[in-house]
Amino acid sequence: MSASGPAPGARAADAEIRDVRYDTYAGERRGRRAAVGSLALRGALRSLGARRGWKAKAVPIALVLLAMGPAVIVLGVRALFGDQTGIDLTEALPFSGYQAIIGVIILLFAGITTPELLCPDRRDGTLELYLSTAVSRAEYLAGRVIGALAPLLLVTMVPMLVLYAGILVFEDDPIGYLRENWADLPRIVGAGLVLAVYYGLVGLAVSSLTGRRAFAIGGYLLLLVAPTVLSGLLQEAVGGAEELDLIAFSILPIGFAGHFFPDAAGDIPNTAAQYAAAYLVVVAAAAAVLLHRFRPGGDG
Amino acid sequence: MEPSTHIAPPAPSAARLIATDGVVKRFGAVTALDGVTLALDAAATGLLGVNGAGKSTLMRILLGLVRPDAGRVEVLGVDAARHRGELRRRLGYMPERDCLPLEMTARDLVVHMAELRGLPRRAAVLRASEVLFQVGLEEERSRLIRTFSTGMRQRTKLAQALVHSPELVVLDEPTNGLDPSGREEMLSLVRRLSSELGIAVMLSSHVLEDVTRTCDAVVVLREGRVVTSGRLDAMEGVADRGLLVRATGDLDRFAAALGARGLAASRGDGGVVVAGAPEDALLDGVRDAAAESGIALRELRPAGPTLEDALVEALG
Repeated sequence: MSASGPAPGARAADAEIRDVRYDTYAGERRGRRAAVGSLALRGALRSLGARRGWKAKAVPIALVLLAMGPAVIVLGVRALFGDQTGIDLTEALPFSGYQAIIGVIILLFAGITTPELLCPDRRDGTLELYLSTAVSRAEYLAGRVIGALAPLLLVTMVPMLVLYAGILVFEDDPIGYLRENWADLPRIVGAGLVLAVYYGLVGLAVSSLTGRRAFAIGGYLLLLVAPTVLSGLLQEAVGGAEELDLIAFSILPIGFAGHFFPDAAGDIPNTAAQYAAAYLVVVAAAAAVLLHRFRPGGDG
Repeated sequence: MEPSTHIAPPAPSAARLIATDGVVKRFGAVTALDGVTLALDAAATGLLGVNGAGKSTLMRILLGLVRPDAGRVEVLGVDAARHRGELRRRLGYMPERDCLPLEMTARDLVVHMAELRGLPRRAAVLRASEVLFQVGLEEERSRLIRTFSTGMRQRTKLAQALVHSPELVVLDEPTNGLDPSGREEMLSLVRRLSSELGIAVMLSSHVLEDVTRTCDAVVVLREGRVVTSGRLDAMEGVADRGLLVRATGDLDRFAAALGARGLAASRGDGGVVVAGAPEDALLDGVRDAAAESGIALRELRPAGPTLEDALVEALG
């Protein structure tokens, strides 16, 4: 029988004798921001299915990959056939239209991930445990909001950044492209944040009302999709009242973010100010629900 | 010290582990706490009372989770209402209710709780291993909590309360829902906290034995009021009231033998009450007098109410 594994000397070098008796901890203690960061990180990882079974991971990861799909496909086609087709990446897939293409994916991603941040804590009664530490209700909520927004950026912002990076790679003069189109970067970041804040806060607000994930997902989709369907029906009935687009809650932030890109502003039915006002009303309502649910002495 | 219904009103003091002065808490028309005044220094204190006596409310006020309507509370010399954040970092809390995230492992939860209390990641991981070992969950630390028995969940709750090295740990009904062997293990663990690990304990229970086995002092609450408090060893002293001896045989001869040993013997409570010496001398005297007079001892216990009698009476 042959021996396997590391040599005895290597094993001895890696070995560590650890005394596991209880001892008083007298080391560094970090501030409450670190506690908020921990809540955010754990929440974000949980919403993506980390340290859980493959079923919990499969859907969010699949949606992130689908959100990347348009960018990867266009860049792939450019890599494989660019010389023959002379494809212009900025024309083939403009940044202004990217979020509209993957709008359903963003909607679903937020619907599936945001309930993970609040529902299990509410269902299992874990909030009482967290509040027995130095964490306040406001800090808990801040951690969970950050934990919801960070994964959402994977679908609202990162795919456009990937596309931007791909364009740079394929440009004959990347520095020149960057010099001429640097303004697209803050637009991409802004558009990504606008969508993440909107879908994240709405998802969290609905989730704060129930301990059941299924109810939270259903309520979130109903809240956003039903007004959108109603908006379409009313537009059919009254004919071309474009202001009705402002109650199409599932696509409202996409219309708002579209105004960030000058090439698309003319194609969007309502003005940026109208979209901003409608956007702020919805976001403020969601924030108000959250603050009410997690007010001192509340049952959130 | 005798069990007493009179509590001297101390001013909250930094020198005490817990000091409260006239604490009142109402929930609507219900008065959960009605002028609770305490001064506790013991390493382990039991909070005893029937369900609804106000134990959990008092604990939540001590932790700063609930604000009292009136009165002052100091824990570890810190004003519990004004410096809640600082206080909670120095305290550990094991809630009574189910509060564990079922889809986390015990290790992940304890690490996370350590981070929330300010420990850096690496220290949190090391501390989690230590406390999970101490509570006997080292083998199960990587299992999801949803697969745990009630006893394992209680131990997980205890581990998270200890992970940041608290000066005082507050345990709300730690034996709730445990089977006899699980209860034994939990009581042993709780006793170790104050006796070996140097962590002050406040434990609430409606089970008398939980308190007498794990605590040095007791506070009895009834309908939101403190009805008695003090150190258990003082309450258990027999020297003041003597011993009650029930026996068959010639009790007159037994009394004479006791008298010959300088002990006072009188008939009462269906037996002979022996007094007049410290506890050890009383027991030696009874043994020797019983042997000399040839009586058969049937019962030997402190005269007057026992600790259990006193506490059960206080509990109402």
